[in-house]
Amino acid sequence: MQAVRRTGGRAVGVLEAVRRSGGRAVGTIVLAAVLVTASPPDRLAAQDSQFGIRGLGMPGRFESVRARSVGGALAPFDGMSPLAEAALGDLGRLTATAMGGTSYRDAELGSTTTSLRTTRFPLLGFAEPVFRRLTLSVSYSTYLDKSWNVTIRDSMLLRGTMQPYADELSSDGGVDDLRIAAGSRVSSHLALGAAVHLLSGSTRLTAIRRFDPVGADSVYQPVSQRDEVRYTGLGFSGSALIDFGPGLRLAAFARSDNRLRAWVGDVLAAETDLPITLGGGIRIAPSPSVRLAASISRRGWAKAVAGSFNTLSWSAGAELGGGPTPIRFGVRGGQLPFGPGTSAPTEVGVAAGTGRAFSAGRAVLDIGIERLQRKGGGLDERVWTFLVGLTVRP
Amino acid sequence: MRALRAAWLAATLGAGGAAGCVERVSAPGQCPEFCPSGSIQIVDTVLATNIERDSAFRGYAFAHRAAAMYLADVPGAVDSRGILATAALTDPVTLPGDTNPDPILGSDSLKLAFTITRRDTAAHNLLLTFYRLPFGLDSTTTFADLAGPFGGAPLRTVNLDSLLAKVARDTSGNLIGVDSATGDAVTVDTTNRRLRVTVKFDSAQAPYVAADSGRLGFGIRVGADVPTSLGIATRASGILSAGVTWYVRVDSTTAADTTLVHEVFPGGITLDSYVFDPPPAPLDSTLAVGGVPSARSLLRVTLPRAIRDSAQIVRATLVVIPAVAWQGAPTDSFVVEAHTVLADFGAKSPIAVDVTRTDTALIRMGAKDTVRIEVTNLVQFWVSDTLAPTALMLRPRNEAGSPAEVRFYPSAAAASRPSLRLTYARRFPFGRP
Repeated sequence: MQAVRRTGGRAVGVLEAVRRSGGRAVGTIVLAAVLVTASPPDRLAAQDSQFGIRGLGMPGRFESVRARSVGGALAPFDGMSPLAEAALGDLGRLTATAMGGTSYRDAELGSTTTSLRTTRFPLLGFAEPVFRRLTLSVSYSTYLDKSWNVTIRDSMLLRGTMQPYADELSSDGGVDDLRIAAGSRVSSHLALGAAVHLLSGSTRLTAIRRFDPVGADSVYQPVSQRDEVRYTGLGFSGSALIDFGPGLRLAAFARSDNRLRAWVGDVLAAETDLPITLGGGIRIAPSPSVRLAASISRRGWAKAVAGSFNTLSWSAGAELGGGPTPIRFGVRGGQLPFGPGTSAPTEVGVAAGTGRAFSAGRAVLDIGIERLQRKGGGLDERVWTFLVGLTVRP
Repeated sequence: MRALRAAWLAATLGAGGAAGCVERVSAPGQCPEFCPSGSIQIVDTVLATNIERDSAFRGYAFAHRAAAMYLADVPGAVDSRGILATAALTDPVTLPGDTNPDPILGSDSLKLAFTITRRDTAAHNLLLTFYRLPFGLDSTTTFADLAGPFGGAPLRTVNLDSLLAKVARDTSGNLIGVDSATGDAVTVDTTNRRLRVTVKFDSAQAPYVAADSGRLGFGIRVGADVPTSLGIATRASGILSAGVTWYVRVDSTTAADTTLVHEVFPGGITLDSYVFDPPPAPLDSTLAVGGVPSARSLLRVTLPRAIRDSAQIVRATLVVIPAVAWQGAPTDSFVVEAHTVLADFGAKSPIAVDVTRTDTALIRMGAKDTVRIEVTNLVQFWVSDTLAPTALMLRPRNEAGSPAEVRFYPSAAAASRPSLRLTYARRFPFGRP
């Protein structure tokens, strides 16, 4: 109900558009929009993982539903994926997009399997051509997800007696990436882009310890500490798309983020180096209805905190169909930056999805499904993620 | 086309519904591999020298303001006796239907009623012995002042156990025992575990002396097969206290049958207190708690800034060592209370009496073991209000309710000084990866 109230104003406005167009398709889009925007308060956070608890968090993916449905391979070529700004030059008109996703995660550690579920809204973006060759964009995506909740049972020696207790440590929030980007189709063979990334966000952190009663008495009072940590940071990125003939396109992108500063009140609690990202991709379109793509990226997380790793990620996928309902599928693999042990946790996954264009392509509804498996340090995570995205080009 | 749209609608609703589900993010942690790098740090420490400038003060509550008269017969430890003074009767009196005042000629009898709030149920042959005392009793009367009257023959002796043996349920359902031979009675309040005792005195035992306006003084001693003690409710207790009922003869000229009319006059009590031996020892350098008049001890704590500003108190225990154990009947209990001081004005420091800022500990009779008072609430209050004085006052529960007094070693006694054992949590390192 709260979500309906919150989105009520927007829904009424769009309903007016429904009445004007009178299309059932638009009605479907409205329904999808309401579902996408009906969200818990921690919207614009990304998927999380046990691997993000110890470290800076779980890095977000700079991918729209379309790109993610092909394993991420299309992200460098997708104007609404906040990965490579050069692709903005091909948008050609005002475009807005949003996505949401729910992950069902089974975390198997030792002989214990825990089922977890999270809903996130990791992307919101707008792009508008301002000159003939220049498109500006503002997008909001998840940079680091720091939402987790851990319960620990243990005991400690207090006043000569072993005293059992239960700890509940939780973090809710993350670091978001506000990207202000510009992309330009410089020539028919070259597109360039650049962006400034403002990193901001906060987490609500809670640490609670409850001691077991001694007999009927709670001799030791519970510990309950809460605080809010605010994060700031800055980054720059640049990218290029180069066309070699009508069916072959190459992408190159780079990003450098300086430092993530964690503030507790006005006190600087921590300052962490952020990674440099380098990557590239290739897209082959043998026919107008077939697009094959692959990409690779490297992120230098190892300098961030002790025990973190540099990561190399790859993806490959295809988008089939030139009409309003393409079919997408892809695979991805790579490493995760934070985990126990001496080697980086690994991640492999497959994805599939489709889209549906309405009103002569003015609105596109994308859905996708992703299956991931992450392994490392004895933890085996298997994740199903359902994705919904809405792109509007009025 | 229509089927395709329907399939799309279903897929959209399914995906949207899945995205709208509630979250479940809590997972058991396996530490340290999959736990946050920071953890809750608990520190247990003894502040051995942080209690200082401690003092004891006497004179907060007196026997005649106590909630109960303390009667005890514990040879070698304490001999405590109750004293009562009755109010004057109005003489002459104006009887109903008469306009002329009529003089009281004398008494038929007097019934003294009182409420026993506490007794030793394990002590057999519990005897209450009543003495006639001078009516000029007051709050300054001492045990030695009444040695003579108490040394005389008693007015009455009532065996409480014998009276209780006669208890039966009456037509109203009350548990009442009556000794028809003596006129004594007892009513048992099983809810509050109290006894309402009525003792009858005849005209020789409780004479009406016109010159004294009917004022009488009574003394009560307790005895049993074993050392024992009991408590009798006073006017300060807020429950039914002692009272007398006079049965007197009045010279009436209006009565049709005789010139003597038997009238009932309830009488009041002007003093209900107790005297005891030995008298309280004067204060010395130790930290005295209890006694009559009651003594309190003020302990000032220097709480380290690091703890006061950023720690969360998990447990705090005040550790004090008795220098002089308290003495009393085996069944007596001594509860010492630690109160937060609202403002440090020394002896006149106002204390918080609400339960959130008061902690207690029971001390066994004669024990000189270390006394540990859990004062977690108090220290938590100090941490939450950094302007509050970090001082606490020790006082007995039911101040002046008994002469029992315990004395603790002060901070000047280096080897046995009071200390504060603190268990606290350090500030969690929020924000650090």
